[in-house]
Amino acid sequence: MAKPVDLSVDFCGFKLRNPFMLSSSPVSNSAEMVERAFEAGWAGVAYKTIVSDRLPIIHPSPRMNGYFGGGKKLLGVQNVEQTSDRGLKANLLDIMYLKKHWPDRLVMSSIMGFSNQEWADLSKASEDAGADMLEVNVSCPHMTVEGSGAKVGQVQDLVQKFTETCRNSCRIPIVAKMTPNITDITVPALYAKKGGADAIAAINSVAGLSGVGVDDWVPNPNVFGKGAASGFTGPAIKPIGLRYVAELAKCRELGLPLSGIGGIETWVDALEYLLIGSTTIQVTTGIIHYGQQIVESMIEGLSDYLASKKIARVGDLIGKALPNLHETHDFDLSRQGVARYDLDRCIGCGQCYTVCKDAGGWALDWDAQKRRPVLDEKKCLSCMVCSFACPVDGLITFKEMPPTYRRADTVTLGKGLEKQLKAKI
Amino acid sequence: MKKSNPLTGMGKGYTLAEAMAEADRCLLCHDAPCSAGCPGGTDPGTFIRKLKFRNVTGAIRTIKRNNILGGACGALCPTAQLCERECSATGLVGGPIQIGKIQRALVEHAWAVGFRPLEKAERRREKIAVVGSGPAGLSCAAELAQTGFSVTVFEAKAKAGGVLRYGVPAYRFDPKFLDRELKDLVALGVVFKCSAPIRGPGAAEKLLKKGFAAVFLAPGLWEPIRLQDSAPSLPGLFTATEFLCALRDGKQAQIGKSIRGKRVAVIGGGSVAMDSAESAWRLGARDVYLVYRRSYTQMPAEEDERQDLLRSGIHFLLLNQPVGYRTGARGRLQAIQLVRTELGELDASGRRRPVEVKGSQWELPVDAVIEAIGAKAVPGGEGIAPSVKRTRDGLIPVDSKTGATSAKMIFAGGDIVRGPALIIEAVQDGKTAAHAIRRRLQK
Repeated sequence: MAKPVDLSVDFCGFKLRNPFMLSSSPVSNSAEMVERAFEAGWAGVAYKTIVSDRLPIIHPSPRMNGYFGGGKKLLGVQNVEQTSDRGLKANLLDIMYLKKHWPDRLVMSSIMGFSNQEWADLSKASEDAGADMLEVNVSCPHMTVEGSGAKVGQVQDLVQKFTETCRNSCRIPIVAKMTPNITDITVPALYAKKGGADAIAAINSVAGLSGVGVDDWVPNPNVFGKGAASGFTGPAIKPIGLRYVAELAKCRELGLPLSGIGGIETWVDALEYLLIGSTTIQVTTGIIHYGQQIVESMIEGLSDYLASKKIARVGDLIGKALPNLHETHDFDLSRQGVARYDLDRCIGCGQCYTVCKDAGGWALDWDAQKRRPVLDEKKCLSCMVCSFACPVDGLITFKEMPPTYRRADTVTLGKGLEKQLKAKI
Repeated sequence: MKKSNPLTGMGKGYTLAEAMAEADRCLLCHDAPCSAGCPGGTDPGTFIRKLKFRNVTGAIRTIKRNNILGGACGALCPTAQLCERECSATGLVGGPIQIGKIQRALVEHAWAVGFRPLEKAERRREKIAVVGSGPAGLSCAAELAQTGFSVTVFEAKAKAGGVLRYGVPAYRFDPKFLDRELKDLVALGVVFKCSAPIRGPGAAEKLLKKGFAAVFLAPGLWEPIRLQDSAPSLPGLFTATEFLCALRDGKQAQIGKSIRGKRVAVIGGGSVAMDSAESAWRLGARDVYLVYRRSYTQMPAEEDERQDLLRSGIHFLLLNQPVGYRTGARGRLQAIQLVRTELGELDASGRRRPVEVKGSQWELPVDAVIEAIGAKAVPGGEGIAPSVKRTRDGLIPVDSKTGATSAKMIFAGGDIVRGPALIIEAVQDGKTAAHAIRRRLQK
């Protein structure tokens, strides 16, 4: 039996048994739901965003639209679900229930005010109900209440102002949740810090249109003849989430712990977020599609990974990829490589040949008799598109070429037309 | 397969969503080997690519333009030995793409939504006669109708379809499915004359005189080959042709009496033998013996058909050559006489020849026997077209590039040319002849 590994992490002074949390969303709508997730092994929750009872919250119907890639693989979900539509009292009682029965789990109360006073009241009420932390939701991209959600997150001084209000109304740590629907995510994060935030959660959903009805010409989800850009989430946005979290982690001036969100379904996804600088990670779409039980494999997979790498604590992994993250102008362009083919495993489909011709360097010939590609290394761009098309895992890999390697020029068809060329070069 | 299953109830095919999911596995091969694997010019490489990229109507068009019987072929073609055998995904998890099932689903989808991929061309004045409404005749008729000819199909039996209707049990191919596919021909303007055999001396030549510009002969092979040349007419002894026809002609109850609760031997190792054995089993036979003179792997029937039969409890009696029948009082069939065989040297077919083991004769007590050992041209059939040369077996030799017979403007295809062949091969013959007829008439 290998030595047990420690999956626990410290986030703003709270010790979580593992880094895996439910994000504030349909999957954390009630204590009933969250309790079931805690039983499954989730270490914490950003509880579904609570609001005051002043304005009624009515969700558009239908609320979501799936975005699929080939067959039934869910690549993402577009949703127009609002903040909690439950009464404030019901939500506060649920938070109290969770803290009473699950004291070792992190219960973060996500709040959204529609006025400065409401931010204050909700902060205080959350603290009084026993919430361990606040999550300041200035990032929901599809609020039907005008001037709320991401509209706030895109106006830096409002981010600072409302965070400040929360800070002045309670003593529990404050996590500000950022919208990705902005050019530089570190800007609002720094304003949140100025307002008193102790940590940053990122990213909230990416404003998107997941589809358009081709018969009725209404964008999806079709809310009785009307569509609207709204929060798009899931595996399709993981590259965006990773990038924003990395930028926040790299920002020296910020220096706050991060909770990473965006397209996490497996322990590998979670690990990537940890390596890029997250302390905790949050999940919604993975649960929407597969259920809470995915946490079982996240826990077991990450534990076995740590054991295999002989790393005792998951905390030791946080930010480990950051030293390797650079700007593109830092690349060493003197080193070049090509694609390497393990043709013993080739099944002869020829997709590599097609894509090399249609999108690559024309480096492949086709042996029609044997049904095998023939590579001319001199022409290979090392774009690797052939490896994406190849159905045999690991058949096409990258290999570095010696410094003497020179790539051949792309053929110019118009050489005979040189005299007619008007441009002076 | 359960005992006493009804003889109808063709299995459901893929839904469109299932077909799309299967198409999604397609590797989009360069120079698609599946498309080279079809003797009938089917182009799965193209129609599956179209489906994968959600060009459903285009995929249907690709299938139906090439083969008016795209639905029938999707359901019945031994794809595992043809296109799917060539599939590059064979070695991957999931195995070869289920091309036949995708094809069937697409054609059924077209019917469900009323999409018509084929259009009538501008009408031409020439009339063409097609003799026989099996796969070759239907294919030829559809191809010509699409180029504007007026086509009349003459069918001897009460309904159109040939082997598709009378040679395949309904649980494998529902007559309603066939009727729907035939509608696609009617929509092209093809006229069917059923119960209208071409009879009498020189009947085919007379069609030319009556104003048909060309005649396509595709009567098929409907004369059963018998175990003994002077086959006895015994109660309980059937040929597969009459047995399977009877099941489709509404004589199921009558023939069921000779099978239900009885011991039945089916002789043969091909697809027709499999269909006969399974039909007998479904009719409620107590025991069904499949008697074959060669080995299991030498059987021409498809592997999964054979496996189905084995699983359902049909007894395979391999390496046994039937040599005769024993009858009892009042001529009742009592037993089939068998001689054990062993495999010897290679024969003309490249398979090891079954050699009788001396002194090994034995008897299997049975109440009924179905002979499924092949079919040949109906004797006397040459009379309807005396100007058309025939082989000694009554087959019609043609120019393989045109389907032209020795007689002017008389073409032929299907089993009457090839001997027993696949549906898709007959389909190809129909197209080949249609193209040749069009070229001749354009001159």
